[in-house]
Amino acid sequence: MEPKVPAFGRFAEPSLLILVSLSDGPKHGYAIMQDVEHGTGRPMGAGTLYAALARLEEQGLIEPLPPIDRRRPYRLTAVGASNLTEQLRGLSEFAQMGLRQLGETES
Amino acid sequence: MRSLLIRCYPARWRDRYGDEFAAILDERQLGPFDVADILLGALDAQLRLRGRGTNIAQGRGLSMSLRIGGIAAIVGAALLAVATFLGYGLVAVDSAIPYVLLFSGLAFLLVALAGLSAFQARVHPGLTWAAFAITAVGTIAGIVGFAAMSVVDGDLAWTVWFLGVLTALVGSALFAIATYRTAALSRGGAVLLGIGSVLPFIGLTGVSVQGLLLAAVTCFLLGWFALGIQAIRLDRPATATRAA
Repeated sequence: MEPKVPAFGRFAEPSLLILVSLSDGPKHGYAIMQDVEHGTGRPMGAGTLYAALARLEEQGLIEPLPPIDRRRPYRLTAVGASNLTEQLRGLSEFAQMGLRQLGETES
Repeated sequence: MRSLLIRCYPARWRDRYGDEFAAILDERQLGPFDVADILLGALDAQLRLRGRGTNIAQGRGLSMSLRIGGIAAIVGAALLAVATFLGYGLVAVDSAIPYVLLFSGLAFLLVALAGLSAFQARVHPGLTWAAFAITAVGTIAGIVGFAAMSVVDGDLAWTVWFLGVLTALVGSALFAIATYRTAALSRGGAVLLGIGSVLPFIGLTGVSVQGLLLAAVTCFLLGWFALGIQAIRLDRPATATRAA
């Protein structure tokens, strides 16, 4: 059975951050970096960004749009939106389980 | 310095990403963190670029499956709805037309089933493909049995048709369960499809079937409509580009 989340190795977290950034509309690389930094408080390097972008594009989770000047926007595909939903749902369930266990420990 | 860093990436990578990557580097003041990050990225690209391409085809194939499945579901459900309406004899048409619409609608729904199964099989492949196979075998057996009834006398053709319909309904119910559990498409549509597939079995217990069948067909077709619309909406990414 294919895993719900493609194996992105050490680029799994940047990939998720990129998918979330693209969930409200297409953006080019620099806008994604700003979005991620604004959302997490941590910068994402250009090397990490493009390693993750290339993997996401290979998996068909995002697709490039025609470039504007030298900037090329990317957008979520249907598969990417579905995959992001699955990942976020899984994270949400995991967080709820952790909070539940924490509550049991504290009480 | 920037061009030197970019040249650390493989030529094939530079052909694809070089311009946009250079544009990003031009917008940033590069520090030691950035240089190290780019060098690691270049090493990763050098190691990884072998064998690229199959995954791209896989992802595009899934998107295509979703699109074809969504359109076929809507067209198939519409044809079956018209066939049902005409089949009640409320409008005077050639008696062959409802049957042509019925078989065309079933063919479209089989295409929809294949397309949406291919999209959903990433999560529950066993259940999804079993549902597809059972429904396809049942539908084809039902069509063959129905066609045979007009050619030969006897119970065999009727039995083939009847068992085919029951098998297709079981497969359809399994597909509804797979769709509900996968949760990538409309769960409401899956519930309607499931109800529409299960209701006819209540008719086997001897209760009045006329209203039951009408409710089953309505739920069944509404379920396919909902799944088709959701599939097309999923396949239509946002189009507005946010300014940087």
